[in-house]
Amino acid sequence: MLWEKIKGGMRIAALDHAASLAGLSIGQNISDARALVPGLLVLEHDADFTAHVFSEFADWHSNASPIVAVHDTMAPYGDLILDITGVAHLFGGEERMLSTLIGRLRAIGYSTEGAIADTVGAAWAFAHFDPGRIVPEAELEASLAHLPVNALRLSEAQVGGLNQMGLKTIGQLAGRDRKALQARFGATLILRLDQALGGIEERVTPRIPIAEYHAERRFAEPIGYLDDVLMTVRDLAIQLGVRLGTQALGAQSFHLFLYRVDHKVMTLSVNAGRATRDPGHIAQLFVNRSERLEGEYDAGFGIDMIRLAAGSLSPTQDVQVGAFEIDDGAEDLARLYDRMTSRLGPLAVVRSKPVDTHIPERAVKLEPVVARTTDDPNALLDPPLRPLRLLPSPEPVEVIAEVPHGPPLRMIWRRVSYRVLKASGPERIEAEWWRTGKRLAILTPPVFGEAEIAPQDHPDPAKKPVRAEPPAQHVSTLESFDPETTVRDYYVVEDESGRRFWVFRVGLYGAASPPRWYLHGFFA
Amino acid sequence: MPRPKPDLDGLRAQIAALERRPVLADGAALVSQGRQGEENDLLGLLKAPPGLLHEVFADEHRQSGTALGFTLGLARALLTQNRQALIYLQLSAEAQEIGLPYGIGFSRFGLTPDTLVIGRIGTVPELLWALEESLACRAVAGVVVDLASHPKALDFTASRRISMRAAAAGTSAFLIRYGTGREASAARLRWHVKPGVSAGQPFDASAPGNPRFAIEIEKLRLGQARQTEQHHLIVDWTENGFVSVDPLKRPLAPLRRPAAPSRPQPAALGDRLSQAS
Repeated sequence: MLWEKIKGGMRIAALDHAASLAGLSIGQNISDARALVPGLLVLEHDADFTAHVFSEFADWHSNASPIVAVHDTMAPYGDLILDITGVAHLFGGEERMLSTLIGRLRAIGYSTEGAIADTVGAAWAFAHFDPGRIVPEAELEASLAHLPVNALRLSEAQVGGLNQMGLKTIGQLAGRDRKALQARFGATLILRLDQALGGIEERVTPRIPIAEYHAERRFAEPIGYLDDVLMTVRDLAIQLGVRLGTQALGAQSFHLFLYRVDHKVMTLSVNAGRATRDPGHIAQLFVNRSERLEGEYDAGFGIDMIRLAAGSLSPTQDVQVGAFEIDDGAEDLARLYDRMTSRLGPLAVVRSKPVDTHIPERAVKLEPVVARTTDDPNALLDPPLRPLRLLPSPEPVEVIAEVPHGPPLRMIWRRVSYRVLKASGPERIEAEWWRTGKRLAILTPPVFGEAEIAPQDHPDPAKKPVRAEPPAQHVSTLESFDPETTVRDYYVVEDESGRRFWVFRVGLYGAASPPRWYLHGFFA
Repeated sequence: MPRPKPDLDGLRAQIAALERRPVLADGAALVSQGRQGEENDLLGLLKAPPGLLHEVFADEHRQSGTALGFTLGLARALLTQNRQALIYLQLSAEAQEIGLPYGIGFSRFGLTPDTLVIGRIGTVPELLWALEESLACRAVAGVVVDLASHPKALDFTASRRISMRAAAAGTSAFLIRYGTGREASAARLRWHVKPGVSAGQPFDASAPGNPRFAIEIEKLRLGQARQTEQHHLIVDWTENGFVSVDPLKRPLAPLRRPAAPSRPQPAALGDRLSQAS
């Protein structure tokens, strides 16, 4: 039995069959329940944890049907929806499929009920109030009519109100004036009713993206070693490559699903820079990716099925390099980037993408080489003199300079003093006024306003490692808009031994707050 | 009938093979690369053949711009039609210390921002792995590794490995290191580079001019054909590549040079006015 805090009291949130036979009910106070049943096993209910575990459990069911969703209208866990369109024949019919799925869960100790119907709403209603049924389309309305109104996924207040009016079954609602019902019980009642009867389409969001092309292998005996998994991946990649080859397709993303015997699914995704179907290359990407797993790989009690799915398909022709053609090696390069990305992480291998702005740290965006976008043609026109290296975040320097616009004469940076012999400047860079709300701010590391390099292990392949517009981050002292503090004056300075730095001044002499100096980059 | 005079270098190689040890892969590659007619001074060495491991030493971290500029100048000479890419590898934790390569600044070294792919890597073993993978790729002209620290993993054995890989694939590797200590390494060339006080702009002597490097070659293992007596050189990086300068001859007056050829104006700029009317 599980409890959670409701309105300041510890009340029962969920209980099993045995507990309900003993006379306990949901919403009961815990101390009352303990008094009724002395040997009660009481655990606190952690909703987030349950939802998480349940979603993993849901993923595992994708070995039965490609579209699996967690039904979260009523609670974030507990209800599982499988779209079995075109799948049931693999199990020998709908009846046998239902009994197989329910049976295998009951066999390991879950109390489960299920039903098959044409709409999500109806299937939910039957699974909860008339389990085990398989309702054909023609009988849907008639069968639903006998069920109580609770079966419509309504709130307690709505159910209470309906019962008060004497409307106990769904059939009684059907002939009523819809507008009157909506006025009294809210629009959700009508919505749920239509969803159950099929008047309104209810969308199911699959937890795992649907892959048109996949190859899978089931094992009579569960396997555990990572090496075995990778060997299987190689075989599957060959199968998948052949299937893609017959359609002249190549894929850019590959997802590996490892179904464990203890009802969990591990996913592993890799992306390729250009569409490919070369089995050796695909397998190598997974080998590299798995080296980055380290402790995360846990086969549990073993893996009984492996599926390799291909996504982001595009037509790819087999190219034969002729004897007299010049092979420019672009494909080799793309493969190198793939291998490096798969092992080092998508944000580790980047290229500089010029951006049309003159704010230095924003003028270059670091973009993953495997997800490259087209360059802005305006960005490269007449590049100004810029340093060879930029510090991810400018470092403050102490400067003695001529007032008001002279270059630095002396500066102290990282506790070392420099005497400036040559200098040029200033080059004034102002805030881009057309970006409202984005001032010329000093960005915090790691840089160029970019996300930090974190191993992206998110299983969701929809999240491509494409970087968004850098978020506007401000140093606290630059918050308020003041035309005098949003100006940077850049100087190229050379010290007595020839080191060349790029320093800038924020603010002007004579303003309310004294200007501050920063070092931003190194010249060659 | 007098027998033809045998090639001395060839004989030496044969004797070496008989006496000491089999010629290693990178050594064999070098013998074939000793071409005739190349300048044998230090300036000529700045266009070293591909497939070598270079070390570029700078004294301090704050000279990282100088070291990178010099290295890009070396690596730029290796770009060919079939090898268009340069790869730069850095530990991501060291970016704030020595700075990240900045794409727009490359244009001064004749490179587009696209040419240099930057790898920001977490650990030294992964960095070495990435280096070897990149060296093996036949579309890569050179790999630049920038290491602010002195990791144990990069020992003589590792550098020997890199050297062999570089020779096998014909891709050059450049290790940028900092500090005054020198560890044992299998690098064929070791450069020591310092910034030089620049000559100033032609019309503004108080402004920093072209990048100037004071270079010293500390190690040169390119076989007999490529020995040089000269060890120090001061060069400027100009639009025409490295140009040797004599530090004693400081021009007092602004340099007289022919006007730089005007750059082609981008079409988009030129068209705008005519279309507006």
